[in-house]
Amino acid sequence: MASDPRDEFYSEAQDLIDTLARDLLALETSSRAGAEDPELVNDIFRSVHTLKGLSGLFGLSRLGTLTHELENRLDDMRMGRLAVSAGVLDVLFKAVELLGRMLASARRGEADDDTELPSLLSTLKSAGAAPPQKADDELNAFDLDPDIVRVLTEAEEHRLRTNVRNGTPLYRIRARFPIDRIDKALDELKQRAKPLGEIIAYLPTGDLPADGTLFELDLLYASAAPVEQLRNRLDGQDATIHRILRKNAASHTSVPAAGPQPVNAVVPPPPATPREGRESVPLSLDKPFGDSSTGERAALQEVKNSAPKTPVPPKPEDETSRAALAGRMSHTVRVDIRRLDHLMNVLGELAIVRGSLARLTDRLRQHTAFRDLTAELHRLHRAFDRNLAEMQSGILEVRMVPLGQVFERLARAVRQIARQNDKEIRLVVTGAETEVDKLIVEELSDPLLHIVRNSIDHGIEPHAARAAQGKPMEGTIALNAYQAGNHVIIEIEDDGAGVEHERVVATAVRKGLLTEDQARDISPRDAINFLFLPGFSTRESVTDLSGRGVGLDVVKTNIARLGGVVDVQSERGIGTKFTITLPITLAILRALLLGVAGRTYALPLSSVAEATVLDTRAVRTVEGREVTSLRGETLPLCRLDRLFSHERVAPKPSNRSFVVVVALGGRRVGIVVDELFGQQDIVIKALGPSLASVRGFAGATDLGDQRVGLVLDAAALLDEVLSSGDRRGAEAFSVGR
Amino acid sequence: MSDASRRELGTVRAGRSRVLPSGEDREEYLGFRAEKEMFAVSLALVREILKPPPITEVPRARRDILGIVSVRGQITTVIDLRRRLGLFASPPTVSSRVLLVQGNDEVLGLLVDEVTQVYRLSPLEIEPATSVLGANVGSHVAGIGRPRIRGLRGEVQSATEEVLILLDLAALLST
Repeated sequence: MASDPRDEFYSEAQDLIDTLARDLLALETSSRAGAEDPELVNDIFRSVHTLKGLSGLFGLSRLGTLTHELENRLDDMRMGRLAVSAGVLDVLFKAVELLGRMLASARRGEADDDTELPSLLSTLKSAGAAPPQKADDELNAFDLDPDIVRVLTEAEEHRLRTNVRNGTPLYRIRARFPIDRIDKALDELKQRAKPLGEIIAYLPTGDLPADGTLFELDLLYASAAPVEQLRNRLDGQDATIHRILRKNAASHTSVPAAGPQPVNAVVPPPPATPREGRESVPLSLDKPFGDSSTGERAALQEVKNSAPKTPVPPKPEDETSRAALAGRMSHTVRVDIRRLDHLMNVLGELAIVRGSLARLTDRLRQHTAFRDLTAELHRLHRAFDRNLAEMQSGILEVRMVPLGQVFERLARAVRQIARQNDKEIRLVVTGAETEVDKLIVEELSDPLLHIVRNSIDHGIEPHAARAAQGKPMEGTIALNAYQAGNHVIIEIEDDGAGVEHERVVATAVRKGLLTEDQARDISPRDAINFLFLPGFSTRESVTDLSGRGVGLDVVKTNIARLGGVVDVQSERGIGTKFTITLPITLAILRALLLGVAGRTYALPLSSVAEATVLDTRAVRTVEGREVTSLRGETLPLCRLDRLFSHERVAPKPSNRSFVVVVALGGRRVGIVVDELFGQQDIVIKALGPSLASVRGFAGATDLGDQRVGLVLDAAALLDEVLSSGDRRGAEAFSVGR
Repeated sequence: MSDASRRELGTVRAGRSRVLPSGEDREEYLGFRAEKEMFAVSLALVREILKPPPITEVPRARRDILGIVSVRGQITTVIDLRRRLGLFASPPTVSSRVLLVQGNDEVLGLLVDEVTQVYRLSPLEIEPATSVLGANVGSHVAGIGRPRIRGLRGEVQSATEEVLILLDLAALLST
């Protein structure tokens, strides 16, 4: 169970890369809107910096080289030496993509021989060769204390200049905070000030009142909002607002802006000593103080005493490692999923103990002499039961992660694929907060990516075709996730051309999967499902994205492995919709235990619609297959003993048989069994690699008393029994006849 | 169950150390029987010896796969050594044991008829399979063990009649 520190590194690095990509997307969106967020650039810079540190720590020098160069360009961006342009963003996206690939190959222990690195490095380098902007001293025009300007970091100065150039009015907000709640108070002030403008810098005045309970800070602030609005916004805060005016404007001195002064405005003009604490104060901003107010006081004392004589420009390294530290101090723990699996196993054993305890209690109950003891044991058992259930749901909850994790990766891919295809795609995501078992989320990204690729490549039409049909130039792909009972539904819908089912049918006939007769009768819905067969492709041309005829069958297999099904609906000219139905968790599920030929099998209850006694008189044979009718609908039957070629060593326990109706994604099959044993919560475990080729089972589970039961794979069984293109189903029917 | 089997393995080991005092570069092999033949595998690859737990048959699995068992919560595939080697299959008896061995990418159970003892074989006591059985021998046979009787100080006294087929587990369990 000991975890390799490298595992930790890989997952942290992966998180950082994901964050990077997300932030880049956000930056692109905001820069398109013409209002790039300087904080975002800072965040991206920090993530890259942390990643660089991690790579160094783990000796991944190629990753280190790339992050280093990336960091340089991002530094240029946040200092305003490099403009955020589409071209630059492209390079950054490429770099992040490459980072992901390099990390993946490092993780697999493969030699990472990506030939892209050198060319990307030089592209990155040349992107930074832009000449630095000429610093005309527009700042001199303002009544700014030169000492203040001197202590600003390069990034802060850049923001100041940008705002000056844009003509945004500048303010100095002098605020006082009680020392014992400075972090909260400052946060509140930030929350209030930010929506109206930009906080350029935090400068401690170093002018603490004698009693030492207050802390004073100047905020350099830029805002285009009317001053009245600012005042209202900051009302209730212990803060005063001074407009910083142009020197040659009417009032030369730093007069407070027009309007009534707040009551507590009697503060001396700003002393020119904000350099004190430049080094330490941002720390106190980033990292919340502890609870002890003495600690805070000590920290502030340090601020006062250790002020350097000359202002030292803070190194970005310090800032970023602080940010990383603050990030790491969040109250979350990274846990290897195997540890949770282990806990789940232990829990399974406990559930078996619980069963034995119940049996023991029942036996004791028959002895009147032990009535008191029995009652007590019964109470204990109930309490045990309750706590166990709570623990189970607790562990399950820990395994759950929002689908947003996959969707983010998908958003990146959509952007890239759309660019390669010269199509404009708008991705609309809803339900990203829907939670699914971590293991499922991990296995989901490939199938989803494939479907999305398919939509962009085959679904969304080229510009001209869209224009001709009066569709908007921009194609839309909607990703929609929601929970339905014990399932999670993910829909991927595009507004593209839709599937031409005639072509699918024609291909199916050509490949011998359908006869001409069958082809005439097949419904468009059934025809589309041929797309999921291995090697099936309607596209004559092979693109570099998809259309090689591999893919949708893999999607189906991967989803089936997770106990889910995938379905597709399509309407010509309107679009295509893939619907994936997945169980919420793989770890534990409610199952129906059933018996056939002396064997016990478990069937996940989520796929069971109902179970009834088989009415043998209602069974008909259609084309060699048994069917019955259930409430007016034809239900294909599958006798499990024949499907599994079980020999009967003993006669059936009774003459009756049962039909368990398995329903998934709109398809139904009645499975005929000898006995129903009732429901049980089971912990499903994977079968070993040596059984990987065996179809029809989702795993196995401990049934208690040392016995193991196989868990039926409902989706696979449905497929096997219903698929007409696949002969195995038919063979299974003929077995035993 | 597992405690009992560990104890069992313990006694086997204890028995061995009395017979064979410390020696040169000898390797330890676990000897067992399947049908009438004696086999041995490197002891380092054997994790545990179990009395056969109830085995759940897996429909549609290969014929030599007996089924699955749960070993402390781990689902483990059990292979019938007799069927694997093409010998005549028969149901487990009281002396049958399941050896938990490290397979190529999972831990597997190997059903054998009886576990006999641990042998410490020096290279001199191992003959190459081809020289004894000819070139057609299966790749799962790593060699033929001819354990010798040793004196108190481990010196070789005479050869026994015992013939052990040393199995190469990796080859035996692949596919």
